[in-house]
Amino acid sequence: MDDNIKSGKDVIDDFFAEIYNIPNADKKTVDALVELYSQGKLSDKNVQNTLDEIVQKELKQIDKEDE
Amino acid sequence: MSKNKIKSINITGIRGVREGLNLSLDKKSLLIYGDNGTGKSSITDALEWFYKDSIEHLTGEEVGGKGKNALRNVFLNPSDEAKIEIQYSNRLLDNEKSINNLFKTFNSNSSKEFASYFSQSQSENLILRYRDLVQFIIATKGDKLKHLQNIIGFSQVQELRSLLKLVGGRIARVIKAGGFSNKRSAQQAILLESLGQNITSSKQFFETALKVIAPLKLEKDIKSFKDVKTALKSIETKEDTIVVEQIAFHNKIADTLTDLEIEISNIHSLYNDYYKSFIALRKDADKISKLQLLALLSEGLKVIKMDIVKDNFCPLCQQEKDKLKLAQELNQRVEDLKEIKAEQDKLNEECEELTKLLRNNYTVISGLLKEKHLAEKENEATKKTIEQIQNSIKVIGEDLKKDIFSTEPLREFSLIKIDDKEIKGLISISRVKSKTLSDSIKENKKLHIHTKLSRALDAYVAHKKLEREEEILTKQQVTFEALYTDFIKKQEESLEGFLTMFSDEINSFYTEMNPNEKIEDIKLVPIKDKNDELSGITIEYTFYNERQTPPVALLSESHINCLGLSFFLASVKAFNKENDFFVLDDVISSFDSTHRTRFIRLLINKFSDFQIILLTHEKDFFDIASSEAKKNNWVIKSLSWTAEKGTSFETPLVDLRTKIEGKFKAKNIDGLGNDIRRYAERQLKQIAFNIEAGLAFRFNDRNEERMMNELLSSIQSRVNKQSPADLKTKNNIDSILASPILIGNKTSHDNSFKENINDLEVFWEDVKKLIKTFYCSEEKCKSFVALKNFDNVNSKIRCNCGSVKYDWKK
Repeated sequence: MDDNIKSGKDVIDDFFAEIYNIPNADKKTVDALVELYSQGKLSDKNVQNTLDEIVQKELKQIDKEDE
Repeated sequence: MSKNKIKSINITGIRGVREGLNLSLDKKSLLIYGDNGTGKSSITDALEWFYKDSIEHLTGEEVGGKGKNALRNVFLNPSDEAKIEIQYSNRLLDNEKSINNLFKTFNSNSSKEFASYFSQSQSENLILRYRDLVQFIIATKGDKLKHLQNIIGFSQVQELRSLLKLVGGRIARVIKAGGFSNKRSAQQAILLESLGQNITSSKQFFETALKVIAPLKLEKDIKSFKDVKTALKSIETKEDTIVVEQIAFHNKIADTLTDLEIEISNIHSLYNDYYKSFIALRKDADKISKLQLLALLSEGLKVIKMDIVKDNFCPLCQQEKDKLKLAQELNQRVEDLKEIKAEQDKLNEECEELTKLLRNNYTVISGLLKEKHLAEKENEATKKTIEQIQNSIKVIGEDLKKDIFSTEPLREFSLIKIDDKEIKGLISISRVKSKTLSDSIKENKKLHIHTKLSRALDAYVAHKKLEREEEILTKQQVTFEALYTDFIKKQEESLEGFLTMFSDEINSFYTEMNPNEKIEDIKLVPIKDKNDELSGITIEYTFYNERQTPPVALLSESHINCLGLSFFLASVKAFNKENDFFVLDDVISSFDSTHRTRFIRLLINKFSDFQIILLTHEKDFFDIASSEAKKNNWVIKSLSWTAEKGTSFETPLVDLRTKIEGKFKAKNIDGLGNDIRRYAERQLKQIAFNIEAGLAFRFNDRNEERMMNELLSSIQSRVNKQSPADLKTKNNIDSILASPILIGNKTSHDNSFKENINDLEVFWEDVKKLIKTFYCSEEKCKSFVALKNFDNVNSKIRCNCGSVKYDWKK
C-alpha cells in the first residue's frame, strides 16, 4: 500500500513542479516562492519579506525613472 | 535495503527489570506471557524510552522528567547504569542506551546511520498498548485529521496550505486598508490644483509641464522626468525663501491630513468589524466562561488518555463513570471549545491588525508635530487640533487592550469615532493658506511656476507609486488565491486517495477478525466545515445495510478495540519505512476467545513478514497463541518476578505434550492429570471452534473457562447431528466421557480420587486418539477439520489439505 501513498513531501514537490502552469499566477511572485522553497526557507516571515521586497524594488524603479 | 528487525534485546535496571533480561530473537517474532506484576510492561517501557526518550504513561507532574525519573529500577545502586541494548539485522545500528542516577542518558552509537535511523523511527508505529487502542477511534474529527496528517507527513502540507491562505488574506487586507483609490484621488486633486488638469500618463505630464514653463521661454524640451528636474533647477531662485517654506509647510499639513483622513476611514471600518465580532463573542457569556475551562478539560483528557485513573470513575467529581465514554465526552467538549477558541483567535488577529494601523498613524502624526512652524503662535490652533487627533487615535488603542473577559466592555463605535470635520476643516484652511501664499508670489513667475511644477511632480510620482503598488499587490493577491485553490485540490485528491486505500486495509483487518458480522465497508471520510475547508475525518461503516457514524454510537467496547487494533495494524503496514517489527502489549483484554483466535491468525497470516513482539497477561490467550505461534517458529517466553532478581524469564516453557510425555517416562504423576486436561481442553476448544460446536453463551474471559466435559458434550452433539454415519462412529468421545473422574475440572482438585499412572496412560491415549481424529498432521497442513473448508460438492468437512475428511450435513 505504501508505494501508492503520496507523502506530504511528494504533494508539495508535485505542487512546485507544476506551479508555473497555474493560471493567473504572477511569475515574479512564483519565482520568489520557488526560490524560498528550494532553499528550505518557506516561512510566513520570509515569504512576507520577499513580497515586500518585490513591491519596494518596483517602487524604486519608479524613482530611477524619475531621475 | 530491507527494513530492520531485532536480533537481540538486553535490558538491565529498567523499571521492574533488575538483573539482565536477555532476549535472543534472531529476527524471530516473540510471544511473552507474564502475569500482572511480573514486569511484562517493563520491556515495552524500555523500548518506548529507547525510541521516544520518554514514557508517555509515566509522563506527569508527579513523576516528571518525561517519565525518566521512574525509569531506573528502585533497587539499583547509584553507581549502576540502567540500560537497554538492541542489536539489529543491520549491525551498523546496534546501540546501547543508558541512563545514570542523575537521569543523564547516553547512546553508544554516534554514527550518522544510527542518527538518521533514530530520527526516521520517531514517526513510526512501533508500540501499541491496550490503553492506546481506542485513542484514534474516540478522537474528535479534528484530532483524527491531525493524527493522520502527522503520520503521512501531511502536517507540512497543512502548513503550506495555511501559509498560502494566510499570506493571500493578508495581502487582500493590506489592499483594502491601503485606501489606494482615495489616496490616488488626493494626488490627482493636487495635480488639478497645480496644473489645472488631471494627469493619467507620463507623456501627458511632460506635455503639461512644457506648457507650464512656456511663459519663461526656457527653450527646453520636456520628454522625461530628468528634463522636468533640469527645468526646475534652471528656474530655482533664492528669493522669498520664507514664503516657499511656508507654502511647503501648509501643503504638508494638508497632504498628511488628507492621507490621515483616508486612514481614519479605514480605522473606523476595521473598528466597526472588530466591535461586532467582539460583542458577538462576548454576548454568549456561557461560551466565554466555557472557554476558561479549555485548559482544565484538556488536562483532564490527558489524565484519562495516560491511564492515570485506573478505574471507571471521573477523577474530578469522583463519580462512577465509564472511562471510554468520559474520554469521548471530554474530546467533544474540547473540540467545541477549540471552535470558540478559533473565533477568539480571529478576533485577536483583527485586533492586532487594527493596533498596527493605529500605531503607524500615531507615528506619522508625531512626525508632523515636529514641524518647526507648528511652534509658531499663529499655528497654535492647528497644532492643538493635530494633537487632539493623535490623542483620539491613542484612546482607540487603549480601548483595544480590553479582552473579552474584561468587566468593562469595548466602547461602541459612536463613542470612539474620530470626528473628521476638524480634519477636513484643517485641510481646507491649510490649502487656502498655501494658495494665498502661492498667489502672493504670482508676480515672481519663476518662483510661482517652480512651486507649482515641483508640487505637481511630487504628486504625479506619488500617484504613480500608489498605482504601481496597488497593481503589484493585486497581482500577488490573485497569485496566492490561484496557488491556494490549486494546492487544496492537490492535497484533497491525495488525502482522499490515501484514505481510500487505508480504509480498505482497516476494513480487511477488521472483517477478518469479525467475519459474518453486520459491520462492513469501514471508511475514513474527510469532513469540511461551513467555509468548505477540510476540518476533520470521521469513521463511517455499514451496520445492517445502513451507513453509520461514529463507531462509538453502536459498537461494543470489544468491537471498538478491534477497530483500534485494525487502525494500528494498517498504520504499521502503510507507514513503517525503517522498521519491520512492532510491539503489541496486552491489546486483546476485551476480546472473547473467537476474536482472540482470529487475531493471532491475522497476525500470523497477514504479518508473516514482520517481527512481532506480543505480550499478554492472559493465560488462555497465551495457550491459544503459543500453539499457533510455535508452528510459525516464534520465540515463546514466560516471565516471573522476584524481589531479588526483579523481572526474569521462567525456564523456557516446553511444549505441553512433551512435558506430559516426559512425566510418563519418569513415572511422575505429580500434576500429570491436570496437564493432560489442560492439553485436552486447549485442543477441544480448537475442534469446537472449527466445527462450530454450540456452547452456552458466556461473557469475554469467562468464555475461556470451558471445562473438558462441556467441550466434549458439545462436540459430540454436533458430530452426532451433522455426521451420523461417519464421524459419529469414528470418534472416541464416549470412551473419554466414560471416565468422568479423570475428566474432572479445574476447580475440583480437592476430591479424594487418587490418579494412578495406568489410568492416566489410558486417559492420555484416548485424548491423543480423539485429537488425531480431527487433526491432520501432514507437514504442510497441520490443521483441524473445519467448516471453513467445507466441500460443497461432496458434502464433506475437511482439513486444509483435504487428507482428513468426513461426511457432513450442512
